[in-house]
Amino acid sequence: MLAYAARRLVILPLSLFLVVMVTFVVLRLTGNPVDIFLDVTSTPEQVAALTEKLHLDEPIPVQFLIFLRDLVQGDFGQSLQFNEPALQTVLQRLGGTLQLAGTGLLLAIVLGVTLGLVCAVWRDRLADLVISSLAVAGQSMPSFWLGILLIQLFALNLGWLPTSGAGGWRHIILPAITLATILLPNIVLITRASVLEMSGEQFVIAARAKGLSRLRVLLTHVLPVSLNPLLSFLGIQIGTLMGGSIITETIFAWPGVGRLMLTSISNRDVPVVEAGVLVIAVGIALTNLAVDLLQMLIDPRIRRH
Amino acid sequence: MPTDRSNTAPFGLTRRALGRAALVGGAAAGLGLPRPAQAAGKTLVVGASVFPDSLRPGISSFASSSLISQTNEALYSRNNAGQAVPGLAESHRQLDEVTTQFKLRQGVKFHDGSEFTAEDAAYTINYVINPANGYGSLARIAPITQATVVDKYTLNLTARAVFPTILQGLTNIQIQSKAYFERVGFDGLAARPMGTGPFVFQRWVPGDRYELTANKDYWGGAPKVDRIIVREIPDPGTRIASLVAGETHIIEEVPIDLIPQVESSSVAKLDEIVSSVGLILTYDVRVPPFNNPKVREAFDYAIDKEAIRRELLKGRGELLQGQLLTSTTFGFNPALKPRPFDPDKAKAMLREAGFNFRTPIPIATQSGKYLSDVDICNAAAGMLSNIGVNATVNVVEGGVWTQMQRAQRAGPMYMIGWYSLGDADFAAVWFTEGSRRSVWKNDEYERLFVEARSTNDQEARERAYHRMMEILHAENPAMFLFGLPSLYAVNKKVTGFGAASDKILRLAAADIA
Repeated sequence: MLAYAARRLVILPLSLFLVVMVTFVVLRLTGNPVDIFLDVTSTPEQVAALTEKLHLDEPIPVQFLIFLRDLVQGDFGQSLQFNEPALQTVLQRLGGTLQLAGTGLLLAIVLGVTLGLVCAVWRDRLADLVISSLAVAGQSMPSFWLGILLIQLFALNLGWLPTSGAGGWRHIILPAITLATILLPNIVLITRASVLEMSGEQFVIAARAKGLSRLRVLLTHVLPVSLNPLLSFLGIQIGTLMGGSIITETIFAWPGVGRLMLTSISNRDVPVVEAGVLVIAVGIALTNLAVDLLQMLIDPRIRRH
Repeated sequence: MPTDRSNTAPFGLTRRALGRAALVGGAAAGLGLPRPAQAAGKTLVVGASVFPDSLRPGISSFASSSLISQTNEALYSRNNAGQAVPGLAESHRQLDEVTTQFKLRQGVKFHDGSEFTAEDAAYTINYVINPANGYGSLARIAPITQATVVDKYTLNLTARAVFPTILQGLTNIQIQSKAYFERVGFDGLAARPMGTGPFVFQRWVPGDRYELTANKDYWGGAPKVDRIIVREIPDPGTRIASLVAGETHIIEEVPIDLIPQVESSSVAKLDEIVSSVGLILTYDVRVPPFNNPKVREAFDYAIDKEAIRRELLKGRGELLQGQLLTSTTFGFNPALKPRPFDPDKAKAMLREAGFNFRTPIPIATQSGKYLSDVDICNAAAGMLSNIGVNATVNVVEGGVWTQMQRAQRAGPMYMIGWYSLGDADFAAVWFTEGSRRSVWKNDEYERLFVEARSTNDQEARERAYHRMMEILHAENPAMFLFGLPSLYAVNKKVTGFGAASDKILRLAAADIA
């Protein structure tokens, strides 16, 4: 297992290098930060000075090498927009996103697993039909639409919660629900299917035969092994969650890294985009590694492969 | 580049509009919940559509100027209609062709308690005009070569040539305290703005909020509210919801399709003014088919602009009168009229000009840059399709757009809006060769532009601009569409606030009843 983790950690820098390179080249090819950053009335001298400062007069491979040289020294460069170290800009905004994504993820897992269990236990009964149908409907609902509906109901009609912005705990409720809903339906359906599949296994029948209660069997024998497909799913979906947080942050005016990335991309603020992409990529890679290791812990069979 | 082809129903609902429509229903009946009053007194909350990247002075984006002008002022400032009015200077007079003398307001204090004098104004302007400092808005006052202190309250500005738009130019230059500027440096100004303005900087959280408190000693009278919070709320639906819910008092940039939601609300009302932006469709006149002036003229007959204004802008803004300038701009030519909508004539003219109807005509536009931009392009493409032109709409991402503009490769037809800020000079420049934005060239236009810039005789300037607008009308380097409105929505309890044509928040007199 350790060998596996080590192997994965060796591949990680390579994937990150590819991510950084593709981001750099695409952004450089599709827009010149000088044009965007300088005023429309800027003089040719101003354009020339900034072009030279950003090494934009060099061929793109050379620019990339310069960028890489600074990067290995931990320097992403100055943000063009904010005129401060790019990594600092990203880290300042990362907290907001982690708070939102963390709350959303927790909500999705707790609610999703519970509802999935309910569906499995009362299979084909009313509760199952209602929850499963809602889950299928939820899968096909765009999250921005739900966000708008939530604002409409809870902020405008009922006046219970604020429409947008960051502040106290009341501000995070609607965006977290919106974000959770991106994953929730799938978690419900995967848990349901997985628990039902495991319920027919011989070890379950054996446990029942030993005289354990249905609930005890469900929670201690069936649920743990059923979590494996769910973990794989979550590992893959962390990226989706980040994507969803961009939309959610925009609708709810939540100050997070998603919106920062969006404006930085349109401003071709390469240092900030690179810092953001790297931080997110490392986060996703490490989460996936953690998921793999966790699965091995839960299911000894995976360890043999 | 995503291509959005819409040859059919030009007035169909976009998906975005449908999404927003979800809010319209019940929001009408939305309850304006009273919020607990702040202990610190009255707080006015503004919902801005976009925040600037930083508070660095000299970036001439409206978002940036709007925030900075809360704390810092210019010698001459603009009013909501876009005219230059006395600011830190009380008056000015022309000493000779190139020298202008400014009498400064006396007894004005910076937020740190020090007095504003000619030293501060001279220091700021001399900093701005030094090319080595790379100041963003330098071009607005580029002809100025020197600022000289005459006495404590008198300042002379010398230009290298006649500079007729000096007051309009100065409205873009925020005056800094010399002592503060020297102490904190240029980056320090962005980190903590400090000036003579009606509000005092407290806190700036990028992506979230900008907080200010009232400057009780403001020379123009103490502001009516104690605190200002400007919040960035990028989604227009959420912005309106925040207003209806009572969380914000003023919001910027109300999209046309959400106007009904504001108008049917019991707590909010719409506030609008015609901005000085002229929205146009520019042709690439270097290559076929638009190198043929007849084709350009024919296209002008093919678009029912009044219908687009009625349906898509809900009758707001104004129809450009066959020229670039909006009707309130200095230099507007009242003798010109837009060409009528006449699709049959357009079609006949195109046939006569030997136009190949199979030629693809993609109309390039950004999305969300101007009011209803994509919708207007879709409508125009639809109307062109009706006479058999193979028109499509090409929605381009912002960074790519700028690159296309700089390379002057934006395709055969693209949508753009030019602001005049009240004076023809600022908008007319974009059809000169020197602007590096125009592929259309006209010797007489160039000559008149230089002429108008080289005299202080306002009548001579106006004559030149009138003739320049005639040339644009006859030559059709672009199709002139609309003078766009600037739309705000405000809580009905707010007084003393007005929609601004230049999108600068002027809050010194704003109050909440």
